Amino acid sequence: MKRSLLLAAALLAGAASAETVVKLNGFAGADVAIVNDLLNKIVNPALAKDGIRAVFEPLQGDFNAALTNALSSGTAGDLMYIDIFVAPGFIKTGKLLPLNGKVSTKPFVPSLVKAFTDTGKVYAIAKDFNSLAITYNKDLFDEADVAYPNENDTWSTFADKLRKVKKALGNDYYGICLPADFARFGAFAFATGWKTFDSKGNSNLLDSRFKEAFNFYTGLVKDKTAILPSDLSQGWSGGCFGGGKVAAAIEGAWISGFLRDNAPNLKYGTAPIPRNDKTKKRGNFIFTVGWAVNKDSKVQAAALKVLDQLTSEKTQQFILTEGLAIPSRTSLQSNSYFNKTTQEAMNAKVVFEGASDGYVYGYSFKQYGGDWMTPVNAALQAVMSGKATTDEALKKAQSDLNSVMKR
Amino acid sequence: MLKTRTKDTPNPSGKKQTGKDTFTAYLFLAPFLLTLLVFFFYGFVRAVYFSFTDYDLFNPPKWMGFRSYLNIFQDDKFRIALINTLLFSFLTTALQTAGALLLAVVLNQRIRGLMFFRSAYYMPSITSSVVITLVFLWLFQKKGIANYLTTQFTQYTPHILLFVGVTVLAQILQVLLEKAKIRQAKSSFQISWFDPLLLWISVAIGGIAVLVASFMGWIQPRDVASFDFDWVYNTDKLFGLLPIPLLFIILMNTFTTIPTLMLFFLAGLQGISSSLYEAAELDGATPWQKFRYVTVPQLQPVTFYAVTISLIGTLQMFDQVKVIGDAAPLDSIITLSYYIYNYSFRGGSSLAGMASAAAMILAALTLLVVLLQRQFFKDEVNR
Repeated sequence: MKRSLLLAAALLAGAASAETVVKLNGFAGADVAIVNDLLNKIVNPALAKDGIRAVFEPLQGDFNAALTNALSSGTAGDLMYIDIFVAPGFIKTGKLLPLNGKVSTKPFVPSLVKAFTDTGKVYAIAKDFNSLAITYNKDLFDEADVAYPNENDTWSTFADKLRKVKKALGNDYYGICLPADFARFGAFAFATGWKTFDSKGNSNLLDSRFKEAFNFYTGLVKDKTAILPSDLSQGWSGGCFGGGKVAAAIEGAWISGFLRDNAPNLKYGTAPIPRNDKTKKRGNFIFTVGWAVNKDSKVQAAALKVLDQLTSEKTQQFILTEGLAIPSRTSLQSNSYFNKTTQEAMNAKVVFEGASDGYVYGYSFKQYGGDWMTPVNAALQAVMSGKATTDEALKKAQSDLNSVMKR
Repeated sequence: MLKTRTKDTPNPSGKKQTGKDTFTAYLFLAPFLLTLLVFFFYGFVRAVYFSFTDYDLFNPPKWMGFRSYLNIFQDDKFRIALINTLLFSFLTTALQTAGALLLAVVLNQRIRGLMFFRSAYYMPSITSSVVITLVFLWLFQKKGIANYLTTQFTQYTPHILLFVGVTVLAQILQVLLEKAKIRQAKSSFQISWFDPLLLWISVAIGGIAVLVASFMGWIQPRDVASFDFDWVYNTDKLFGLLPIPLLFIILMNTFTTIPTLMLFFLAGLQGISSSLYEAAELDGATPWQKFRYVTVPQLQPVTFYAVTISLIGTLQMFDQVKVIGDAAPLDSIITLSYYIYNYSFRGGSSLAGMASAAAMILAALTLLVVLLQRQFFKDEVNR
């Protein structure tokens, strides 16, 4: 009896030691449930035959600070999220494994592969992506008897529609909710042909094209067609929109999941970002997070297999149908889901198309990261709150930005 | 109670015993000393070294001499953070110390439900500062309760003024009438201007006056625009010096720290001999004179301690700035601690060398401020 028990224990111990555990670092919060769901339903069952088990270890608090700390001290997971926003900085650390020759990047959208490429080497595979679109409240447009925003809108026709809605519905309602944030405003600046960095790597906020977009965006707030999220006690424009007092918001596909949970009865449609009147082009951002492999990982081969599963068609189908984001695999972009007529599917389609229509840039600011945006956001806020004129605000922003870029 | 040894009776095994006691003491102190050695002393020495290098957390540091220190003083953000830190530290320490002393004096009285008030006032200190910050952000948002109450106050100013006016008038009349009666009766009884019974009657008269005036339409709420003051995302400066969002953090920090300091003062108050107050009373001292000439001097050692820990704590304030984050303009809230954090962990592009230099400057500043305040407040040891 004793012998058989010992044998069983030895076998169990053997089985346990044969299992390779791959640790994944990602965001805390809502992502924990989503990733664990993915691991339990798709990734781990697929890797069970190889004796690999992926475990999600979210980093609490400020993710990028925690990841910087973990990578520098050698305690980071085998696989980790890398946001396009901070990717250049993390690539520069030399702690990410170049994936060339280890992972085929062909099945993925080229612009997303480019987002994580530095000097010819790919450092992460985009797990999914998002771009911006106009989400509008159908009931408010109907009540105001104004045509819905559509793909033919230019800045002026779009603003005109918003003003008409505001006029028809009165003081308690607003045409659109606009944050003082380059993450939204940037789409309009790009539509004019302006770029974040010129060929010499400088940023010119005093450029007439930047100023044109700046005046359009802040003008909507100044004439009370638009409202800042904070004025409605909200932290983001999706929150204002969900409250039903705002006719439109500029957000990505993530708004679908939010509205499904927080405003299930709100009828909404989605239109592309309007075109600039002069260039007739749209502008947009690509927001993406990739999976990167730790260069110092002791289970690199297993980590690469997990990466393969985390970016597989099956996983991305799950992400798409859950209304979380748009898949990064080109094959999934002709997915039948995009032809559905549900408001979530239609939103996903517009967001997907937004990534390749007009002047589209990754939500990334070289090694400056968020510091690049701080002066621009301050300028937007100053003008939107009536504390400064456009010229004053932009002059200060340019001077502050020069200091940031000099560091 | 500790056993004290005297040298009156020579103890042959005394030396051996002392050595054993010392060893036991070190054994008990070992965990603390080890933590201090590893996390503070070693950390400090490393930070001093890094401050003279270009360390970025990932690559081996290269010696740069004083270049980081020179770069820091040329950095606008550092200068702003330094000014904000000093403003925050001095104002918050002054408010916290004064507030804690007053609250301790109030809670040192013999009043009904004293235990409840002491516990209730101590609550903010044991609540997470993150939670308090979020609650304050909610209270002080544009459409928040603080602005709502201000709007209501301005809207009902006529009612409030009428109520206060009639109450004060009624109280004056009542007290004068009572004084006249007392004079007539040639009694030695004295009546206070704040006699509770008369005050209740005056309040009732004030309330009735407001009700009648509203009912008759003599007073009406003023038609005022809603008060939409932005406490958090605000670039204005009070008196051209103190950023409004920093004032918001000062109020918040004062609210959360007063209870801890209050506890020190309360303990100090319990230690003041009642004979001093009795003597002062015999000399005819008023309550204010007793506070000014007995309480305040007797509490000096406690005040020294409270001011010292408050200065050290406020110079290193970080959490509230971090929680507020992008909700306020960075220049309005950035402190030296946040500057150090921000430069150390910047999504892979760390400037740990420069941040270490800033940390050294913060440490030197803390030391300087504490040394300076020792010149003004003498604790018991330094007397």
